[in-house]
Amino acid sequence: MSNKYIGQSVKRVEDKRFITGEGRYTDDIVLPRMVHAYILRSPYAHARIKSIDTSEALAMKGVVAIYTGKDFENINGVPCGWQVNFKDGTTMREPKHPLLVLDKVKHAGDGVAMVVAETKEIAADAAEAINVKYEVLKAVTNPKEALAPGAPLVHDEYPDNIAFDWQIGNDKAEVDAAMDSAHHITKLDFTNNRVVPNAMEPRSYIGDYDTAYDRYTLYTSTQNPHLIRLLMCAFVLGIPEHKVRVVGPDVGGGFGSKIYHYTEEALVTWAAKQLRRPIKWTSDRSEAFLTDAHGRDHVSTAEMGFDKDGHIVGLRIKTYANLGAYLSTFASAVPTYLHGTLLQGVYTTPKIHLDMTCVFTHTTAVDAYRGAGRPEATYLLERLMDVSAHEMGIDPAELRFKNFIPPFDGVNQAGYQTQVALQYDSGNYHAVLERGLEMLGYADFKEKQAEARKNGKLLGVGFSTYIEACGIAPSAVVGSLGARAGLFESAQVRVQPTGKVNVYTGSHSHGQGHETSFAQVVADKLGIPLADVEIIHGDSDAVAFGMGTYGSRSLAVGGSAIVKSIEKVLEKGAKIAAHKLECSTDDLDFADGKWTVKGTDKSIGFGDVALTAYVPHVYPANLEPGLDFSSFYDPANFTYPFGCHIAVVEVDAETGKVTIKRFVAVDDVGNVINPMIVEGQIHGGLAQGIGQALLEGVIYDENGQLTTGTFMDYAMPRADDLPMFETDRKTTPCPHNPLGVKGAGEAGAIGSTPAVVNAVMNATWHLGVRDLEMPLTPQRVWRAMNHK
Amino acid sequence: MELTGSHILHAPVQKIWDLILNPEFLAKVTPGISRLEQESGDLYKAIAEIKIGPVHGKFEGSAELTDKVEHESFVLKVTQNSKIGNVEADIKMVMKPTENNETELSFDGVANMSGLLARTGNRVMSGVANTLTKQFFSNFEKELLNY
Repeated sequence: MSNKYIGQSVKRVEDKRFITGEGRYTDDIVLPRMVHAYILRSPYAHARIKSIDTSEALAMKGVVAIYTGKDFENINGVPCGWQVNFKDGTTMREPKHPLLVLDKVKHAGDGVAMVVAETKEIAADAAEAINVKYEVLKAVTNPKEALAPGAPLVHDEYPDNIAFDWQIGNDKAEVDAAMDSAHHITKLDFTNNRVVPNAMEPRSYIGDYDTAYDRYTLYTSTQNPHLIRLLMCAFVLGIPEHKVRVVGPDVGGGFGSKIYHYTEEALVTWAAKQLRRPIKWTSDRSEAFLTDAHGRDHVSTAEMGFDKDGHIVGLRIKTYANLGAYLSTFASAVPTYLHGTLLQGVYTTPKIHLDMTCVFTHTTAVDAYRGAGRPEATYLLERLMDVSAHEMGIDPAELRFKNFIPPFDGVNQAGYQTQVALQYDSGNYHAVLERGLEMLGYADFKEKQAEARKNGKLLGVGFSTYIEACGIAPSAVVGSLGARAGLFESAQVRVQPTGKVNVYTGSHSHGQGHETSFAQVVADKLGIPLADVEIIHGDSDAVAFGMGTYGSRSLAVGGSAIVKSIEKVLEKGAKIAAHKLECSTDDLDFADGKWTVKGTDKSIGFGDVALTAYVPHVYPANLEPGLDFSSFYDPANFTYPFGCHIAVVEVDAETGKVTIKRFVAVDDVGNVINPMIVEGQIHGGLAQGIGQALLEGVIYDENGQLTTGTFMDYAMPRADDLPMFETDRKTTPCPHNPLGVKGAGEAGAIGSTPAVVNAVMNATWHLGVRDLEMPLTPQRVWRAMNHK
Repeated sequence: MELTGSHILHAPVQKIWDLILNPEFLAKVTPGISRLEQESGDLYKAIAEIKIGPVHGKFEGSAELTDKVEHESFVLKVTQNSKIGNVEADIKMVMKPTENNETELSFDGVANMSGLLARTGNRVMSGVANTLTKQFFSNFEKELLNY
């Protein structure tokens, strides 16, 4: 062990290829004899297919094949990864999500036919020549409207559009009693707006089939290659898993939208064998808006009760989650186990109850989106806290201090058992808020705000003290909650004879910087230069197994698996070193890349030991040659990063435009391997969280048409929408993984959204504004201020 | 998308009415129309190519005149399909003589769009509709002189 790299802002080694245009994404891959697919999509949100005539299209020059729903009548659809049960114990409703629709399209963009042609352009032109006759039906896109009697049905077999209902927390009667006893109750209706993830790289897949070896290869822009292989082989196509290689090459962002096993992945893999030619499909941007899994979309009524001193006595929530037309891979997990379990927040709330109804609508499927369920929980809690504080005349920071769970490190003090199943590992919530207030200069700020008000400026401050469950996840726990997979991670550390090291990790990088931060860990643990370590990921033929990257799990779970393998390498290395140095392993110390006999200057370097392992001439008896170890790491618990985000906004009294003047973020993500990468992750998350609050929002019209389907109609945050972020960190190590890390990928998107909305409400509170639906566009804010 | 507006055409109602029911004339003045054929009675088959800014596509479909009240009004039902989406519109057209024996043609209707047309949003689409309407009336007036 040395401490040369861990904790240092090492520049990302992968960035050279990304910024010089040498990154290799799926669409960059060109295989010999490759043909191109184009998916003809339904222009309607809900319609019966009366007929499909492909004859004209098939006759076009360059068209290789056309497939329709009929070809997949006897092939399974894409599955959901989690089984959640109704309150009464019956299994959730899981409609078939066919690779192509046979009879009824269920959202605008549903795939109706796949044209394969010599070029993408020919395929697109041929798709235009396909004549589909539809009987257009009425559509419903809002979850509450979908539950109304007589609402159009998404799946004819489910006469109420309910996927499942679910609850978590204390007994409902106990929570009702606690609320009845409350001195003050804050009750609000919230909408958590639907957003489009908009990864920079659109989805792209290549299916290939090798007749000589009877072997498939799928290149895919995914967050989890092995998971895609498992789902596609075992659940959809029924092809043998050992005959399938899935490669996730460089992937340009996912944010949760590339967890989903999409129909197009199975389509190109299946058709590659039919045609004996590689097939590429790449989404265009408009298609991405329409078919990439969306995020969020909750409608809630939430109540928080307080005693006369401002202590929370109860929390009662009713939420409707819009799942879209089909169940995505994490569809059922996001609104339940990744949302309901976070409703304790960082507070000592004694009684909590969430009643959840998950609903089908004629919209694009919803899946994980940066934070996945946890932002929705945080939004409810943190909005309620600020509104309650203002209603009760208590300072919002003070109200939080009153209700925080006291600090606990998970070692000397036990973890904190919540009312909603989870046990927090370690936390110090006071520390992050104290630091945030200090950075803000809160005392001075209050004076400034009063002065600004006098001058007609609407200045507001909003708080958010969030917690998240990351490092997903202990397999036994998630298994008991309905996950159809374990959520461990694998790692192989292969030391080459020259002492160079290849590390094969099951965690996939699509922008997170694994090739740098993982290498920092390996280099320090083995005491070798960073350049001597290569991190390999994303290829199921190279990597033993992997559950992928999401839920801020890469370093906490994938990194821990690497540490386990390194420990095995060092244990065996010590035996070789002891043999060479003619001593016992107990007499050895390992530091700075060499084993030294204690109290002497006799030592042997890591490189010499590696060479000896592969040239075992002078070698311990009964020891195998080689230095190459694999490990699987299954975490003992989730990790629980937390933090404090504070937004200062100015609302233009004339136009309602919100400008973020300052944004303070103090995050505690446990130990940090590369501060610059963590900072980058926080910045990216903040941009997305602020984007949801102020700019982004999906709008379907009354016919189920996506009216926000371009970057002209869907506002993404740009640099000039954001202030210079003021960030700092506190460190409360994770007590149950070897690196003490908690994960930082989602924190920014979880904490920032309510902070911004709280700040706008604070700025306009005196005008009677209590809640507004996001995004807080100038029009919405102006109307609320002017009661129009 | 709502479609409303009116325009003064420099000819008496009788003449305007006849011209609007004349497929040859309509094909000349309607922007982008490449073919307009009478299928039966008041039902026409139409093929048009539109290219305005981001909206670019070949449309095929039908146009039908219903609820005809001679020299007064009719309802134009348009169904057009294209790669970039489908349009279904119901537009009520009303003709009124003005004091100068000219015709005020006013229209009022709704167009429902699907596909890419819907996704490009009303902001773009209503601009496209305005441009097409202006072109229609300007062509109409020019062509009027030849009839």
